[in-house]
Amino acid sequence: MTNGIPFSDALGNYTPQRFREPSNDPTKTRDLLEQFHPDYMPDSMTTLKVGPNQGDVCHKQLADVLQSDARIEEADLAGANTVETDILVVGGGGAGCAAALTAARKGAKVILATKLRLGDSNTVMAEGGIQSSVEKGDTPQMHYDDTVKGGHHYVDKPLAAQMVMDGPDVIRWLIQQGMQFDVDKYGDLLTRRAGGTSAPRVVYYRDYTGLEMMRVLREALTNAGIEVWDYNPTVELLSNDQGHCAGAVVSSLKNCSYTLVKAKAVILATGGIGRMHLNGFPTSNHFGATGDGLVMAYRMGAKLRDLDSFQYHPSGLAYPQHLAGTLITEGVRSAGAYLLNGHGDRFVDELGPRDHVAAAILRECEEGRGVQANETTSGVWLDTPGVELRNPGILKSRFPKLLQLGRKCGTDPAQEPLLIYPTLHYQNGGVVIDGNGCSTVRGLYCIGEVCGGIHGKNRLMGNSLLDIISFGRRAGEHAATEVLGRPHSNVSTEHLSELRRQLTLADMPMENQGPMLFPDYAKFETDSDYDGLHKAK
Amino acid sequence: MSETSEQLVNLTINSKPINAPGSLSVIQALWHAGYPRVKSVGCLEGVCGSCRVMVRRADSHELKMELGCQLLVEEGMEVIFLVFPNPTHHTYQLEDIKNSWEVQDQFHQIFPEADHCRHCGGCDKSCPKGIEIERGVDLASKGRFGEAGELFVECVMCNFCMTACPELIAPNHVGLFSRRVTAYFHIRPSNLINRLEMLRKGDLQITQ
Ligand SMILES: Cc1cc2nc3c(=O)[nH]c(=O)nc-3n(C[C@H](O)[C@H](O)[C@H](O)COP(=O)(O)OP(=O)(O)OC[C@H]3O[C@@H](n4cnc5c(N)ncnc54)[C@H](O)[C@@H]3O)c2cc1C
Ligand code: SF4
Ligand code: SF4
Ligand code: FES
Repeated sequence: MTNGIPFSDALGNYTPQRFREPSNDPTKTRDLLEQFHPDYMPDSMTTLKVGPNQGDVCHKQLADVLQSDARIEEADLAGANTVETDILVVGGGGAGCAAALTAARKGAKVILATKLRLGDSNTVMAEGGIQSSVEKGDTPQMHYDDTVKGGHHYVDKPLAAQMVMDGPDVIRWLIQQGMQFDVDKYGDLLTRRAGGTSAPRVVYYRDYTGLEMMRVLREALTNAGIEVWDYNPTVELLSNDQGHCAGAVVSSLKNCSYTLVKAKAVILATGGIGRMHLNGFPTSNHFGATGDGLVMAYRMGAKLRDLDSFQYHPSGLAYPQHLAGTLITEGVRSAGAYLLNGHGDRFVDELGPRDHVAAAILRECEEGRGVQANETTSGVWLDTPGVELRNPGILKSRFPKLLQLGRKCGTDPAQEPLLIYPTLHYQNGGVVIDGNGCSTVRGLYCIGEVCGGIHGKNRLMGNSLLDIISFGRRAGEHAATEVLGRPHSNVSTEHLSELRRQLTLADMPMENQGPMLFPDYAKFETDSDYDGLHKAK
Repeated sequence: MSETSEQLVNLTINSKPINAPGSLSVIQALWHAGYPRVKSVGCLEGVCGSCRVMVRRADSHELKMELGCQLLVEEGMEVIFLVFPNPTHHTYQLEDIKNSWEVQDQFHQIFPEADHCRHCGGCDKSCPKGIEIERGVDLASKGRFGEAGELFVECVMCNFCMTACPELIAPNHVGLFSRRVTAYFHIRPSNLINRLEMLRKGDLQITQ
């Protein structure tokens, strides 16, 4: 798209104003979404041809990896080391840490293997906070109702009910691990309101809720003597004679070799898909968010859901390039920031639902009213100087992180508006689980962003940090009890032979290998440092 | 910010000559130049502390520690990616501290080196977040954990200060200890406790 208004012209025409006419655009959400929201782009979706969700609608790029060939052959594993543990946790974000800590404290032997370092995750990046109904005017019922409504009624109701009831105890547990929250002068938890909720319910620590959570959980975990394998991405699960999950194949980026981990239970906590850059979108997600867990679970036979539903956050930074996709918190719009197109006009109710606002921004850019920064980048203005004009000092006092971001862009958000564009933010769907985090495959637990159902087709701000701890603790506890006295079983990659048979029968191309592990621009596949982990094509 | 920032600059990253637009971070510049880079990449947003680099700028002999995802390329810069150091030898469990009267005593048993701070300022100089680390260590050794912890709000646990400290104090872990004991012993929100009580008594139910 290069049809927008040139950046310098648009900026030249811009002056901050106290008031601008609200948009009177009558377009209905449904029509707007159908025309402009990426989830509705007809050629972005396909139907799955093999596996437990055969016949279901799925995003094309995701379908490509779900139906890809495995990265390993039986032969790759011939000389591999074998290690035994009660429980293998895959993924070192908030969900994985909560599960590992809980299981280890119950007496299970736990190994946590993660792709990057422990804590390099989406969790560490969360700013806004975590939902828990603690205020007088609020109840778990209201929290539940908001969650179901927010998820467009596609929510797995028992899971949502259990999660909101866990809310207060999740906060207590986090405090017991040593996590701080912002409190008032009497020591009560402060709360703020998330979009689409009926009461202030988000508890938080500054703009750094995820950072505070992650450094505390990491410290708790390493001090609990849990074995942590960093730079050890899991590339496949292992099955036993009955088709249950009985371990995993872990690849070490440190010595370029595979290890077979025999485990009585595997807990997958691999997070989201932002770095798949669906439809070419930038993302707010960390480097390791490439949907690996979905692929591995699907091959083992686990049922997935809502594979056509993703959250695009309206305010990702569009420019400069090195920061594209970086999240700007919804709070700036809550504080009254307008969204302006290249003509300086408002074009949407800034506080509408996230999917509606994102679609409206895409419409402005597509129809030539966006601001064109260079050949490939367009966006709309987030009118931060206007907010500052109406409330002098507000940016400094309430949005220090935004000002810091401005410094990195070489602009002062109090003087100049920021160029924004929707950013791929969250995977709404994922693995189907029950209240203990059990998938439809025995021995395989899934927790956190890799799961689906809890948030239906749209997640509310603050509900994800709650879900990862609530289900993380439950899965850790359940798995630790289940594995007691259970022997290890024989492991094999039998399910991969089945996968290849099905792919061949369905006439699927076999060139692609999954899971992805890293986005293509990191050039993992051609990096000679990792030759030992590349499959001969 | 404008279209003109696309000027190319020359620099070296891990001794490889690189030519990249000035709007890129050093991680992106490596990728842009076609070099692979998998390790030392995490959040790409300055909060995970993975992307540790050492930099020398064209106009200076000084070596600076920075986060590679936050550092923009400049003409004549030399950048080296650093591996992550081994974890600290300090270990403790909050549950082993029986009550808040014992925190200071326990602290000195867990972090015996903290008292030996040379006030060399090495930690402060190495911190990409500008944290007053030396002062934090001093406050913690005097038992002022609340104040000490406040200084480490923005700490991303990149461990630069740990590597810099000649006394092996592990100042970032001192900071995190200070923060954790403050939460563990002193955060007792009555609104939360009241809600937990109501839940315990079964006063709050959900109709689906
Ligand atoms: C910028 C940003 C802001 C957010 N703000 C909020 C907020 O305010 N409130 C809220 O509730 N939610 C927020 N979210 C969402 C929330 O942070 C995440 O959904 C949640 O933290 C996911 O936790 P997780 O443990 O499931 O996954 P993650 O924290 O992403 O952890 C997954 C881990 O698995 C590892 N991994 C991936 N693949 C493999 C593999 N093959 N082998 C081994 N390990 C692997 C990853 O590297 C990572 O360490 C935000 C998200 C982002 C990106
Ligand atoms: S205090 Fe230490 S670990 Fe924390 S950000 Fe500064 S240098 Fe890094
Ligand atoms: S580097 Fe170590 S010894 Fe030097 S001031 Fe910092 S804490 Fe003290
Ligand atoms: S990649 Fe996380 S701080 Fe740079």
